Amino acid sequence: MSVTETVLVFAGIPLAIVLVISGLAALGGGHAAKRYRPGRPFEFAPVWFLAAPEQLAGAEASGSHASHGELPAGTSSHAALPAGSSTEGGGELVAAPTRIGATGGASDRW
Amino acid sequence: MTGGDKPAESGMAVRSGVLDGPFNTRQLLRLDEALRVADRSTGLTFSVYIGDLDEPVRGHAEKLHAQLADPDRSVLVAVSPNQRALEIVTGAVARKRILDREAKLAALSMVAAFGGGDLAGGVISGLDQLATHAGRSRR
Repeated sequence: MSVTETVLVFAGIPLAIVLVISGLAALGGGHAAKRYRPGRPFEFAPVWFLAAPEQLAGAEASGSHASHGELPAGTSSHAALPAGSSTEGGGELVAAPTRIGATGGASDRW
Repeated sequence: MTGGDKPAESGMAVRSGVLDGPFNTRQLLRLDEALRVADRSTGLTFSVYIGDLDEPVRGHAEKLHAQLADPDRSVLVAVSPNQRALEIVTGAVARKRILDREAKLAALSMVAAFGGGDLAGGVISGLDQLATHAGRSRR
């Protein structure tokens, strides 16, 4: 066995194995980085999960419909009010939107 | 070949938006299953938002909740990992089924999982708890 052969076998082959394994590890590491770690910035796009996604799309459509529909209805009833009673009806009109604030739930931080 | 590629490509485009998120495919499937089971067993609409919330966090979560089809019968779980904030918003009807105390209990266990870095596990077990409470209070 010459010197060059000895170097190839005892240094070249281990070096090749190390390179292959570290290359595989670097490839695999890219996938594992895709998760949330506390304390590290969370750089993913916002996602919204629903069992039936059409409920959200329908909500946006019906929501805009409702807001478009509410305004003329409100103004028309407002216009109709002076013909009937004067101020009591106005109070009732204001009372309707307060229902929006009736949400409950909980908040927490970690 | 190109004809077969087209639907696959559009499917990829739709899916990549979700797959770019913090969850892998298995976690997405479990989350989907948890949402469907919660919806079916309670009759309420559960949804999960994961992303940044504007300050005030509570106000933004309530605004998102109001965008749902039937806010009164809906429950929104909003998670903001950057702000380390969790908000559970229940509608007027859902609030009678899931008391604020029970929502707080679910929030505590979810936050414990988030603190350990387990977003999907926390959300799934939280949904399960919320659905259990909602089902129980109905009877």
